[in-house]
Order: sequence, then C-alpha cells, then structure tokens
Amino acid sequence: MPIVLQDLNKQEIFRYLGYGGAEPDAVTKKLTEDCSIRLLKEAVPRYLYAVHPLRWEEEGIRVGETPLLLTGNSIKEHLAGCSRAALLCATLSQPVDRLIHGAGLRDMAESLVYDCCACAAIEQLCDQAEEEIREKLLAGSKTPLYFTFRFSPGYGDLPLTVQKDFLAVLDAPRKIGLCATGNHILPPRKSVTALIGISDKPVEAKRRGCGACPMQKTCAFRKRGDHCG
Amino acid sequence: MDKKQAFFSLLNKEFVLLDGAMGTMLQKAGLPMGALPELYNLTQPEKIKDIHRQYVEAGADILYANTFGANRHKLQGSGYTVEAVVAAGVKAAKEAAGDKALVALDIGPIGELLEPAGSLSFDGAYDIFSQMIAAGAAAGADVIAIETMTDLNETRAALLAAKEQTELPVLCTMTFEQNGRTFTGCSVPSMAMTLEGLGADAVGINCSLGPDQLPPLVEEMARWTRLPLVVKPNAGLPDPSSQEYDILPDDFAGYMAALVPYGIKIAGGCCGTTPDYIRRLKEVFAPLSYQKPAFVPQTAVCSPSVAVPVDRARIIGERINPTGKKLFKQALLNEDIDYILNQAISQVGAGADILDVNVGLPEIDEPRMMVKVVKALQGVVDTPLQLDSSDPKALEAGLRAYSGKAIVNSVNGEEESLSRILPLVKKYGAAVVGLTLDKGGIPKTAEARFAIAQRILERALSMGIPKENVLIDCLTLTASAEQAAVAETLKAVRMVKEKLGLKTVLGVSNISFGLPNRELVNHSFLTLALANGLDLPIINPNIKAMTDAVNAYHLLMNIDKGAEHFIAAYSEAAAPAVSGTPAVQGESKDLGYAVEKGLKADAAQLTRESLQKQDAMEIVNGILIPALDTVGAQFEKGKLFLPQLIQSANAAQAAFEVIKEHLSRTNGSPVSRGTIVLATVKGDIHDIGKNIVKVLLENYGYTVVDLGRDVEYEAVVDAALRHKAKLVGLSALMTTTLKSMEGTIKLLREKQVPCKIMVGGAVLTPEYAKTIGADYYAKDAKESCDIAGRVFGEEKEES
Repeated sequence: MPIVLQDLNKQEIFRYLGYGGAEPDAVTKKLTEDCSIRLLKEAVPRYLYAVHPLRWEEEGIRVGETPLLLTGNSIKEHLAGCSRAALLCATLSQPVDRLIHGAGLRDMAESLVYDCCACAAIEQLCDQAEEEIREKLLAGSKTPLYFTFRFSPGYGDLPLTVQKDFLAVLDAPRKIGLCATGNHILPPRKSVTALIGISDKPVEAKRRGCGACPMQKTCAFRKRGDHCG
Repeated sequence: MDKKQAFFSLLNKEFVLLDGAMGTMLQKAGLPMGALPELYNLTQPEKIKDIHRQYVEAGADILYANTFGANRHKLQGSGYTVEAVVAAGVKAAKEAAGDKALVALDIGPIGELLEPAGSLSFDGAYDIFSQMIAAGAAAGADVIAIETMTDLNETRAALLAAKEQTELPVLCTMTFEQNGRTFTGCSVPSMAMTLEGLGADAVGINCSLGPDQLPPLVEEMARWTRLPLVVKPNAGLPDPSSQEYDILPDDFAGYMAALVPYGIKIAGGCCGTTPDYIRRLKEVFAPLSYQKPAFVPQTAVCSPSVAVPVDRARIIGERINPTGKKLFKQALLNEDIDYILNQAISQVGAGADILDVNVGLPEIDEPRMMVKVVKALQGVVDTPLQLDSSDPKALEAGLRAYSGKAIVNSVNGEEESLSRILPLVKKYGAAVVGLTLDKGGIPKTAEARFAIAQRILERALSMGIPKENVLIDCLTLTASAEQAAVAETLKAVRMVKEKLGLKTVLGVSNISFGLPNRELVNHSFLTLALANGLDLPIINPNIKAMTDAVNAYHLLMNIDKGAEHFIAAYSEAAAPAVSGTPAVQGESKDLGYAVEKGLKADAAQLTRESLQKQDAMEIVNGILIPALDTVGAQFEKGKLFLPQLIQSANAAQAAFEVIKEHLSRTNGSPVSRGTIVLATVKGDIHDIGKNIVKVLLENYGYTVVDLGRDVEYEAVVDAALRHKAKLVGLSALMTTTLKSMEGTIKLLREKQVPCKIMVGGAVLTPEYAKTIGADYYAKDAKESCDIAGRVFGEEKEES
C-alpha cells in the first residue's frame, strides 16, 4: 500500500532544529510551516519490507537463507527470543536531496529547516510502515505476536557494513532505487534501514533509547537533557 | 557474418523476440533473496543452460546471458572475478543458443548510485562497465543489452563503454514508473533522445510495469527516436507476500500485441515471466506485422528530466560567462561554484529554457572546470545546457560529463574547427551552433554568411549528424560600429530559416555595445530578430524587457495559444513576487539591527546607504562583525537558535555582497579577513553542517574555498597550497568516514602544508580530534568562527 505522508510533527522539527522546549521565533515558525508543505510535495515515499526467519549461528544471526549476517552483541540482545524479523527499508527519494541542496545555495536556514522536516518525514514513513507490518502479521496469525522496536545498522555494535546485503535481500536498489555507497551511506540521503524482531512470547519492553546509540557521547540533545526521537 | 550484421539481419524479421526472466526463475528454483544469481554460472551451469534452452525452444531470438549483476561492485567478497563469471555466463547462453539465437551480454545497474545522488563517479562507473564489456566481448557475446537502468548518466556510462570498447550492437532499456519517469526522474523523451545520440542501436523499456501499463510510455518514446523500440516488461506486479506476479501468459501476450500499433519491434519479458510467456508471445505475434512509427524529426535538447523542443523561441541564458565580469572571474579563480549555481538558479527563475556555460579563463584548467561546473549545475537545475568554449578539450570533457543532450557552442566554417568539433558533436549526439564566419572573418553580406551556414550543414550531414541538430548563428555585430550590418544579420537569419530549414541562434546583447539606452536597443533588436526567424536568443533573462519581448512575440504570433502563458505572467494576480523581507520595514533603521534580526533586504539597503557616508571597512569592522558577535553570543547562551543564527548570517551576507560590488566598482581591494578551505571528507556526502559553517565564516568576512563533499585527500592539499589558506576545515558525519578525515590530515601534515586544521561533525569528540592530529575541534558553526578569529587574529590578508 502506498503511504501518503501528511502533516509533519512541527514539535519534532523544532526539536531537531535545536529549540528543545523553547518557543521558536515567528520567522522560524513560518519557515517551518512553508518548508514542511513543500517537502511533502517533493518527497516520494517508498518502502519495502520482508519477513525472514532468524538462525542463530556462531558468528551472528543469519537472516533466512540469505547472505545477510547480523553481527555484534547489540543485535543479539535486541532480537533475543525472536524467531523472525521484519527487514524494513524506506526512503523519501532523490527529489528531497535536491530540495535541501538547492535551498542551501540561496539560504542555509531554509536548507536546514528542510533537512529537519525530512528527518520528521522519514520517521513518520517508518512509523506508518511499521504499523502496516504489525497489522499484516497480526491479521495472518492465530496466536498473539510481539514486536521489538526498530533497530538500525549503526546502533550499538551492529556494523554499518551490513547495509549492502541488507538492501540486496530486499532488492531495494531495483525496487525503490535505494543503494549503499562504498562507505555504507544510503543515498538518497533521507533513507532508513531497520529490523523489527517478531516473537511469540512477550519481548522485554525495551525502548529505543540512548544506550544503544553511537552518538550518546557527543549528542547535542543529550547535553541539553533532551533526546532525539 | 559479423555481429552487427547478425543483429541487423534479425531486424529484418517482423519482430525480434527476447527471452524472459532469469532471476525470478532461479528464485523459484531455490535461490535465496539477496544471493547473487550470477554465481550459478560457475557453480550450477547446467541449471542456467537449462533455463536458456527453454527460452530458445519457446522462440527467443536473443538470449540475455546471466550476467546482469556480474560487476565488481556486486561480486566484491564473493571470491569470483568478473571475468570468470561473465565468461561462464556467456558460455552457458551460447551453448544453449547454438545457431538458433544470439547471445547478449546483459548489463544491469551497478548497485551503487552515481554522483550527485551517490558517490560513484561517472568515470568509476565507466570503468566498472568496461571490465564487464571486455569480458563479455572476449567470451563471444553477439549483442550488449543494457537494462533496468534508472539513472540516465549510469546508462550513458555503460553505453559509452560499449561503443568505445567494442563494435557490438547495443540495446538500452530503462525502468519507468507509471508517471513516465524513472526513480531518478529521467523522462522518456530525455532517455530516447540522449541514448540515440550516443549511438544505441535500439532503445526501450523493461522491468517495473506490466505491459498493460505501457501504451502511453511506448507511444511517447516513439515520438522521440528513430531507433527500433524494445519492450521487456514484468509479468505485472508481484504479490507482496507470495511474490507471484499477477499477469498470466495469455494476457501478457495480449497486452504486448496491443503495443504493436505503437511501434514495438523487439519484445520479451522481465521479472515473473517464464518460457510459457515467450511461447505465447511468439504465437500471438506470428500473424502480426511490424508497424513502423511515423517519426518526425525535431530540434530538441534535454537534461535527464526536462526535454526542451525548439518549437518556439527558447531563451538561452548568457550569464554563466566570465567575459567582462570581475566577480564571476574571481569566483572561478576561487572555485566558488555556488556563485555560478546562483547565477544559474536566478536565470532559470527568470525564464531561461537553456543555460549557456562558459568557464574559460586563461589562468584556469578549463576542461577540469567545465566538468566541475557541468556536474554541479546538473545537481541543482533541470535546464539543458549549452557548452560554450573555444577549447575542444573543454568541450569534450563537458560533453562526457553532461547527462542529456547538450548544445555545443560552437563550430565555424574554418576547416580546423569543422574537423575538430563536429566529430565530438557526432559522438556525443549533441546539437551544435554553427557560426557563419571562417578564415576571412565575418562576411559583410547575408548571402556570404548563408553560404558558410550551408557549408557547415553539408559537412555535418556528411558526418551523420542529423539536420535538426545543426543550429546557425548569423552573428550580431555592434550597431554603433556597423550600423548597416544589422539588416544583413536579420536577412541572413531569414535565409537560413527559410532556405535551409534550420533553427537559428543569436547573441543579442552585443548589438547595443557603445550606445546609450542599451536595453531599448536590445529588446527592439530581439523583437526584429524573432520576427525574422530567430529561435534561440542568447540573452540575459534577468532583464525583464528581454523576456517580455519573447513573451509578447509568442502572444502576437499565436504561439502562446489563448495567451495562457502571457496572462499568467502579467495578470495582476501574478504580480512579481517580492522575495524575502521587504526593504526597510520601518522598524530597522540601523544596519546592526537588521543583521541581528536577519532582515536580508533591509541589510542590503542600509549598507547601500551607509556606503555613501562611510568607508567599507568601517562598516565591516564597526557594524557587521559586532552584530554577528552579538548574535553568536546569544546563540551560545541558548537565547537564540540555529535558524536565527543563519538568518543573521544571511542578512550579513546581503550586506557583504553590496560591499563587494561597491569595492569592485571603485577598484578598492576586496574585503577578506583571510582564506579558509572547507571540505566534507572523502566518502562522506553529508554536507549540511559544512555548508552552515561556510555561510557563517563568509559572513565574518573570510574568503571560503568550498571543495564540496566526498573530497579526495589530494584535492584538500592542492587547494590549501594554491589558495595559501591558513586554515582548513574538515567535516565528517559517519563513523565510517572518520578514517578519511584522519587520512586527509595525515597528508596535509606530510606535505607540510602551512595551515591549521579544524574538524567538526556529529560523531567527533574533542579527544578524537586530537588523536587524529587536528589543531581544533569545533563543536558547532559558531565555534568555527571563533577558531578562525584565533587563527587569523587581527591580521589582514594581502589582497
């Protein structure tokens, strides 16, 4: 089902812009309003997912029969008790990159606001896709199912080097034009890959938190006693 | 029979049948998702051969070898070489084909995005494809099939590699969505026009959509190319859970037959199709005849997403040109690409349909600059480009880098020019401007200029350049010096248009040189020239009277049907939009206040006023910098936030622009507190932080040489040396690219570049910055300005 993004969460955008709880000035508020409308016009939300069984091997967790091997302790902890996982990838597509870049030539403030709007938009896209995955799986299951939060390569010690295989398993380059670079960056730049663990038993109610975040030492949000998502 | 002949004799059949899917067949047979199907060429060749054999039996005339993803990017880490996988793939197909079918080396996308979206360079992509192509040709492939492409530039890289390394015929197909565009925004006309120009032997559509959705796309493609059309669609859409495709063989063949009236010649199936689909296709096509589309040649140019047919007057913007422009020259010397991009954006906003690009300066490496500017322009504007240079090397470099169909400006009637420029025009499928001059200079009479135009056309035709790609510039002479020549130019335009049937170009602004009221002379001449048959005026679209003249011409000549465009442009409702905040809103009478509040237009206006009574440096040091300091201090205290900090910087920038212009007019020395080189390191493409730092530094009065993102170590060293930069700033956002930051610093130290280094980026810490040898760690954009202040002290840079 195609997802239509609507009404970005302005409070989130202000937080990404660094306002924390402070009230933004009128100019920034208006700019955010205008930019979020334009961003929603330019963004082409695309996403893919697939559910695979998990196999616990010595070197890590194998996703189905695929070449994708998830290594490190964080992912083991995250997927503990899960027999399957949903692989999700999502992107706002190239026009958003151009919008942010093009705006920056005229006005960096506008570019920054677009960038933060895009962050809110990709989160919204992932939230909606995650919702769809849960609903579909629950509808197709006679017994209750439990889900972990979204865990992305780069969290904890799950290396970014898995991006290429991750995307290949979903056939993402061909199906939604999402690729990884040699340095494991995902262009188009406003894109996400994530895993959601699926279990028959309740999973520990872990939340997405700062503990697993590679940015925890330098994060500007944390310094202000805030968090990003 | 050579391979080209074998292919062309196949085209004598009513239809050429391709095979169906390989990948989805293998997945059904147990290939896991994400695994490389091409490895089966070596590990299970019998399985591959068996599928090929089934397609031959079903009636395929051409088999696509199982080499789609056999490139070194995808094979990396597999333990197999490109050469081995490709050779085995071609071999399996050839054995199955026998003499019943030809074998195509199948080339799919690399799996990594090219610049500017990704970080793979055009040359890098070319190299990856060349390796596959060399291996495929050596293994005996009969045809090269480039397919499932979404990026026109990547397709160009593959096609150029195929044409430059082999004589094999090449089929090119791209993957479009229902809106007629690929993921990267490439349109059907742009694809067809560009690839035909580059020498493809057939073009078309594959994958993504089912054949039921293709009629509008095929119909459109047929209007833009003379080449045979290929269609190789999916069997509809896959079910998300079962992965079964929803169009069955009978329906598939029926939908394909419905495409015959639109002109398809070569047909097969992509994902989800099987030998049954091809068998049905053969049966259904058997009684049908090929219906060659009626192709009407037309002059057009394009970028990947925008095609501009010259079916009315089209404005070529002239502003990207350093001739007579001090600030532009300085921008080229400082490699200030953003300055050039802004010139582009403002011209497009004012109505330019095509942009002329001239970056020639004796002091710079023009071919290198041409490539840099062409790439940067294509990252921000969709307008097609006209590459303007007297250096054939710069033209070739630009043509190679340009994704789309460009105009070459220019060739003339001299033998040397004809023999050097026209082969480039032919090879890259560009259009070309022919200047009606030769060894004897510019002829005085219209008849003599017409004769040169005729000579240029004949030569172009003899080299296989189609007539519609030849444009003629009959040359504008200055009215003040050669008043009588104006009428000759107009007459020559008319003759070329009427007798040769070619589209015409004229640089208009030259007409008024040395006269008062130049604007009046320019737009009057423009109107006269349009009435005499000018199609492509080269003008400054930012001068309203000029675009107005073109709009009025379209209205009066019934080209702008129903005056739709005219009314939209001039009705009261569409009164010219005021950009930014209005000048002097009444509240800000003071420049410092305007900067602090981020009032751009006010800041510019107040600076203009201040310059009447105050020295430029006094304004900079006495008002602008203190105002920025006040804003900076509030930012640090958390009283004011990043968007406002940048808005203040923007206002200061507007003030600086006014001062720069003033100084360049009054020949004062440029204001610069020092030169700083900035770069986002190799491999990293997250540059928003660096761009914010740039804006702030510039508005503290520093000259910033911005090398962009994904910058090679050597480029940083070269720039720091060339510009004698005392400070180099590096940014990286990813943990994986910090090593590039370290590498860049190491090289700067090794080469003993006399500069300080500051670093910044989300994943950096002060400790880590120290470990990798940086002098300073900047936690945010404001701090980078403080660091610059410390490095440069109060010392002024020599101008």
